[in-house]
Amino acid sequence: MITLIVAVVAVLLAFAAVSLYNGLVRKRGAVDNAWAQVDVQLKRRHDLIPNLVETVKGYASHERQALEAVVAARSQAVNAQTPRDQAAAENALSGALKSLFALAEAYPDLKASRNFSELQEELSATENRIAYSRQYYNDAVLTYNNAIQTVPANIIAGMTGFAAREYFQAPGEERGPVQVRF
Amino acid sequence: MLAWLAAAAAVALWLLLLAALAVATRNPDVVPVPPTDELAAHSPAIVDLITGHWRLCDEATSATLLDLAARGAVRIEEIGPELSLVRLRRDPGDLKPYERLVYDHVRSLAVDGVVATGALAEGSRNLDRWWKSFRKKVIAEARAQGLSQPRWSRAHAVLLTAAAAIPALAVAVAMTLSDEKHDGGLGAGVVTFGVLVMLMGRLNGERGTRRGAEAAGQWLGVREHLAGTGRFAEQPAASVTIWGRHLAYAAALGLAPRAVTSLPVSVPADDRRAWSDYGGMWHVVNVRYPRRLLWAREPLPMLFYALVAGFFTGFWTWIVLLVLSAVDLWPDALVYPGALALGAAAAGVPLVYAIIDLSGKAGVEGQIVRLRRFQVGKKGDDDPKYAYWCAIDEGRAREVKAYGIGADMWSSLSEGQRVRAHVGRKLGWIDAIEVVGRSRLQGAATYDDTGEQRIDAPENLGEIRIFDTRQE
Repeated sequence: MITLIVAVVAVLLAFAAVSLYNGLVRKRGAVDNAWAQVDVQLKRRHDLIPNLVETVKGYASHERQALEAVVAARSQAVNAQTPRDQAAAENALSGALKSLFALAEAYPDLKASRNFSELQEELSATENRIAYSRQYYNDAVLTYNNAIQTVPANIIAGMTGFAAREYFQAPGEERGPVQVRF
Repeated sequence: MLAWLAAAAAVALWLLLLAALAVATRNPDVVPVPPTDELAAHSPAIVDLITGHWRLCDEATSATLLDLAARGAVRIEEIGPELSLVRLRRDPGDLKPYERLVYDHVRSLAVDGVVATGALAEGSRNLDRWWKSFRKKVIAEARAQGLSQPRWSRAHAVLLTAAAAIPALAVAVAMTLSDEKHDGGLGAGVVTFGVLVMLMGRLNGERGTRRGAEAAGQWLGVREHLAGTGRFAEQPAASVTIWGRHLAYAAALGLAPRAVTSLPVSVPADDRRAWSDYGGMWHVVNVRYPRRLLWAREPLPMLFYALVAGFFTGFWTWIVLLVLSAVDLWPDALVYPGALALGAAAAGVPLVYAIIDLSGKAGVEGQIVRLRRFQVGKKGDDDPKYAYWCAIDEGRAREVKAYGIGADMWSSLSEGQRVRAHVGRKLGWIDAIEVVGRSRLQGAATYDDTGEQRIDAPENLGEIRIFDTRQE
């Protein structure tokens, strides 16, 4: 009888463990998926910047400092490894782009350029998409991190190597609604 | 008796006339043409109307938005598996009135020109009035195109109304003759007339014209063609970039449920899953309405309830312990202490919570995301009581607990308002609330323009099936 009870309990525990494990895998998959969405938008943004720089060069080639700042920030963003580094680099890139767009105000021909205005609009739309996909990613990370830290899933997570994920936010940034202004 | 028989016969004859007219004015038969890819010039909303037995469905609004996307007025972008954005692109210029209604709804919600698709159910509009306005605008266009008409023409209405006077008169006479006081006839006649006219009104609705039936048949052919090509059922709304207007028509024809459900333009907002734009970006806020045992309660009455709960718990415990001690199952010396302990335990938590909330309130600043009232107590009560809830997004968490609030305060607020509230953190009761910013959603120019109802388009209650011989 005792053997039977032990066997039933063992089977139930095994089912619970499998169920918890599968749940964690799904949540981790959701994080990966969300990150893929962020990555797509970031790559799109990075791809747009060389065109923007070339366009600005055509009208304001002597604004070398601002152009180099954008190129350097892009390079850092492309080479960033972790979400945290990526977020910091993307923030720097946003700052550099803002400066570049502010400079454009002084060049009426550049502002009137159709190519420039289309690039600006596309970058603005991409920025917006990044903000939403970032929010989506951070929510997925929150759900996943909560899952691997709560009892009893943390036991399964510890045994099977589920590690906490980083939020897509630069050091010092607070989580919460993100202001989107570009 | 003879008078009553005559009255019954008059009513039966009138009903027969009504039935005959109903049969004569039923929707024409729609014969689908063979599968075709030729899209006629009708809008998806019109297509929804004429292919749905001249009854407009919720899908029409989503299909209209997809059509606007296909025509470049907005763009739908997929950001994540469950997240898409609607982005305003350019001024769409001339739009049909119902398209303008949908476009303005999207525009009123957009932050920096963008709104998450899930947030399309939000807004401060009166959804019933909005939907009626949309429906009437679609019907007006369908009638203008000769595709639809009201079931009762003016001649029908006059004939039926005039004819209804006869059975009403017959009933009035019968009642006067059978009533000893002879004073019930007029009332009976008026009531009979009213009931018959109401019945006539209930059977009114939109019906198709011959031209409309031909157009519907053509669109059913398109439906067959689309059903066999695009696997539209699995397509997300963002795939309108690829499929263009075909996806909009597929939605109107009931072939694209995934795209339709992801664009909840004319669906009531979810009580528990709100979209908030507090902080400048749409995001989901899950709203909880906890049980009201120790939440959403005013502190002062709670003090009283706590004392009453403590007293009754102690009293009944004392009775039980007395009985147990009489049969030697509980020591005599512990009867009073036991009753006191349980009474104190029952009163303790609410008492402490109430005292904490009375001694100081927390300041909460944010945006109202949900204002709801739920009935408490028995459902069929003649004098129903409600619990009033107010959920505030402070921009810090994805889940918020709705607070309790007084009915007067509740009725003066609206969703989307920025507020500063004094709240008891333990019992979750809003003591005072101040509006610091009006709802952004109330600012759109035509957002509240849902009141003009120029045409008479009564709700179509469907065909009278017993007279409908068509095969489904």
